[in-house]
Amino acid sequence: MQTLIKTEAVSLTGLTKTFSTPRSKVEAVKGIDLQIPTGQIVAFLGPNGAGKTTTIDMILGLTQPTSGSAKILGLDPQQAVSSGRVSAVLQTGGLLRDMTVKETVTVIASMHGKVDRITEVMERTGLTRIAKRRVGKCSGGEQQRIKFALALLPDPDVLILDEPTAGMDVMARREFWSTMRSEATHGRTVIFATHYLEEAQNFAERTILMSQGKIVADGATAELRQLISGRTLTASFPSEDQGEQAAAFDPSVQITERNGTRFAFQCQNSDRFAAALLGEYQAYDLEISSPSLEDAFIQLTKDAS
Amino acid sequence: MMTTYIRIEFTRHFRDGYNLIFALLLPAAMYILFGNIPSYTALDLGAGNVKFYLMISMAAYGAAVSTVAIAGTVATETMQGWGRQIALTKMPPAVFVGSKMIVAATVAGISAAIVFALGAATGAQVNEPWIWGASYLIVLLGAMIFACYGIGVGMVFKSESALGLASGLMVFFAFFGNVFMPLEGGMLDAARFTPMFGYVALARYPLLKDMPAGAEMAPDPLWMPTANLVAWAIIFALFAVVATRKAKARQ
Repeated sequence: MQTLIKTEAVSLTGLTKTFSTPRSKVEAVKGIDLQIPTGQIVAFLGPNGAGKTTTIDMILGLTQPTSGSAKILGLDPQQAVSSGRVSAVLQTGGLLRDMTVKETVTVIASMHGKVDRITEVMERTGLTRIAKRRVGKCSGGEQQRIKFALALLPDPDVLILDEPTAGMDVMARREFWSTMRSEATHGRTVIFATHYLEEAQNFAERTILMSQGKIVADGATAELRQLISGRTLTASFPSEDQGEQAAAFDPSVQITERNGTRFAFQCQNSDRFAAALLGEYQAYDLEISSPSLEDAFIQLTKDAS
Repeated sequence: MMTTYIRIEFTRHFRDGYNLIFALLLPAAMYILFGNIPSYTALDLGAGNVKFYLMISMAAYGAAVSTVAIAGTVATETMQGWGRQIALTKMPPAVFVGSKMIVAATVAGISAAIVFALGAATGAQVNEPWIWGASYLIVLLGAMIFACYGIGVGMVFKSESALGLASGLMVFFAFFGNVFMPLEGGMLDAARFTPMFGYVALARYPLLKDMPAGAEMAPDPLWMPTANLVAWAIIFALFAVVATRKAKARQ
């Protein structure tokens, strides 16, 4: 008989963390149960203070949970870290300003025992060009790239990124994700925390929404967007009257925004309504959009609180 | 992994230079200034001359200050998140601290060696050659107790300027520890309880050991500086442990 055991990349059971100061207690994480299979790309989405970083610290063994347990690939966090099977881009600090880029990569590579990967990793993360520059002189985006390179050094199976694009401009962010895309292959599990909804939307197959130390929603990113039903249709009309008339098309149609002769509607059957708008109501410049994750997020965090 | 870390640590310290000027050049400069005042430095003292005595003093000061400055970076770098970065590798934190200690000891060793070399070149003398080696070793080993002091201060204040403060306080300790100039009377009695007193007194002991009790500049009995050194080693170690715990809990 053969048993096929599929190890979860990350498995959290009843995870909580309470920070105690003499005056008060802060429950940063209030009980999280979570399974992430290997090879999945997952976004942790939530506002500041949602408990994302604390959860990640516990997954990496940097913080001890108050109760519950975290396992990576079936191992204790410390074991997984020291065997180089998990690595991370941390949000806070992490680099010494007076080291050069090359020195930083070399030092961490030697601590992993992976000196042979220095050249390759620096090449892939675009650091070769700035190898001799001091870390303190690098831009925010370049510093994030250095941290990313450090995380790639052990060639990990599970890669965790805590707000990897914080402090990057739009161009740098785009560049970062395209590098990231090429690293997220060969069954590598990628978990990233972000508060940019766009990043979860574009990059993650699964999104976990966190708010106030709890998971408020967890599902395929596309499904989460469906949580808010219906589509938004935006169109301009020759006159305001025609826009108001169009709102009477069927009971599910609602005006959500209006600006002169430009109206935004929400409705259930968007296809039929769109056809009617263009035909009957002489609308033009029609745009149909599905709700963004941001809408879903506002809705869900509102429900949870 | 340790050798790479140590190599890059040295590159960093020598590139920045700033800290090293204090650690390496200041004690040497002070020895040249105070050790070559012709009116008294050639006089005999114990088994050697006054120059030898001053050479030990300045070397001890230099070694201790270098140790504080470098050991303190353990704390500031840990608190700046570098500790978290290291925690994500297979290198244990103890190896990080150990590497820093090796760097600190090496720089302290160089600092003291420069002063000793200057001493040898400008007429510091001692009758029994072994005293050169013994004094140097005591200077070097004793300086290590100040590593804990540097780590503790760094953990409490978390900034690089705190290390400047820590080194600055060392000047104060040195004055009141009978390092720079011989103290007398009540001042000397109080000095026996300050952190650098036992250290420098032990380093001078081989030179002064045969002086008759009661003579000017005669050493205290050996147990006194030893007790001082051991007590301060324990105090600094506890300080470092407590400060580290507190700093980590607040993280």
